[in-house]
Amino acid sequence: MVILFVVIGILVVLALWLIGVYNNLVTLKKRVENAWSQIDVQLKRRHDLIPNLVNSVKGYMKFEQETLDKVIQARAKAVSAQGVGDKIKAEQELGGALGRLLAIAENYPDLKANTNVSQLMEELTTTENKISYARQFFNDSATKFNTKIEIFPNNVIVGFFGGKFESFPLFEVTEAERGTPNVDLNF
Amino acid sequence: MMVFLVMMIAFGLIIDLVFGILPIFTLVFLAIASIQTLVSLTSGKEIVLRSVKARELKANDPEERQLKNIVDELSIAAGMGKPPEVYVIDDDSVINAFATGRKQEDSVICVTSGLLKNLDREETSGVIGHELSHIVNRDILLMTLISALLGAVVIVQLLAFRALITYLRFGAIGAATRSRRSSKKNDNSALAIIAFLAAVAGLGALFSFIGRLSLLAVSRTREYFADARAVELTRNPSGLANALRKIVTSSAKLQTANVATAHLFISDPLKRGINNRTSFFASLWSTHPPIAMRISILENKTLTEIEAELSDYI
Repeated sequence: MVILFVVIGILVVLALWLIGVYNNLVTLKKRVENAWSQIDVQLKRRHDLIPNLVNSVKGYMKFEQETLDKVIQARAKAVSAQGVGDKIKAEQELGGALGRLLAIAENYPDLKANTNVSQLMEELTTTENKISYARQFFNDSATKFNTKIEIFPNNVIVGFFGGKFESFPLFEVTEAERGTPNVDLNF
Repeated sequence: MMVFLVMMIAFGLIIDLVFGILPIFTLVFLAIASIQTLVSLTSGKEIVLRSVKARELKANDPEERQLKNIVDELSIAAGMGKPPEVYVIDDDSVINAFATGRKQEDSVICVTSGLLKNLDREETSGVIGHELSHIVNRDILLMTLISALLGAVVIVQLLAFRALITYLRFGAIGAATRSRRSSKKNDNSALAIIAFLAAVAGLGALFSFIGRLSLLAVSRTREYFADARAVELTRNPSGLANALRKIVTSSAKLQTANVATAHLFISDPLKRGINNRTSFFASLWSTHPPIAMRISILENKTLTEIEAELSDYI
């Protein structure tokens, strides 16, 4: 009799623990997915802002036609990109082109004095920051999730559920971003 | 919240059990605790914002627009669903900020206009990161609850003390006139009441003293913790460190802040000297850790280095 109770007790505790682990994993997974959709929202916003910005700075930056063209092309590519791999690559290119544009704009005092343009610049800066913060949050929560499903004994439980819990890929710094920028100081 | 109620009831129960008058004090404490909790939780935010004369953000001002953007950015970094509301205190001579609100969903971040004018984007991000982590860690709720508990204890202590004084003044006269008829039983009950009231007042004083010290200790550790979280969010320790530097070197005292709200701010708005000393006794009584210490942790330098650098100001 006593042994039966002990066995039942152990089973109940085990079941409760299983439920706890499962729910925890589901919560973490949802958080990662939500982080992913946040990135999408910000990318969409970036695409919407670019045409306005390019139109307002065109007049001031006649000598930077090449940079502006690159931004417009990169945007077109990013909007039409299909599939995750292509999308990530196109967005990275767009990010690089925008970064250059924002850096060059610093050299044009007239441009910064124009309230309309400076507002757009601020909006673009904040969108760029939001994208990188959203990625950062995605990476942080995905790492947490990936660790959780791999440590023992969680990995055994994950095995029961087949493909429900799979580790997320992380954003990594590309070769282009990793390289130090060339700064030419020979005026 | 439950913890607070349970603690208040337990406090009442102890008194009741000691003196064997079971339901009275437990009920009194329950009532006080409920009222205090309700008041502090529902109106804390509005009261604080009104007391520091804060106003809502102006969306068309470029600097305030940028502030709003920074708050939104870091809310994403912290994984908050809805970014907190932003308020501004119009005082160009002060660089300071605080966060308040009981839940993540209706929290508030408030900065001075001096902060907007004097700090650049990076530095402001550091400060906002610090305030956001107060919100995410629910520090404000914790602090509000401790102060509400303290408030309730102080009220009880004052009531008991008042009653004791009144009883000694009038009760003693009454006892003296009655003692001609000399009834020993009467004397005993008078002594018991005096002892009881004295015990309540004494206990209350002790509780509020210990409570105050622990509130300060919690406040200080939470500041360090929020600094660390700010760096985790912005991945940029120099932003916050430079912001703290500017606060030390060029911020004036905030006129609208007071002792009750001082602990909410990122750095002591009253600029009390005690908050910059590092001795054991000073650190027991300060609401904020010394800024030099915070900068030295953020920049991984020794305390003496930073103190030497800022020696003109602290």
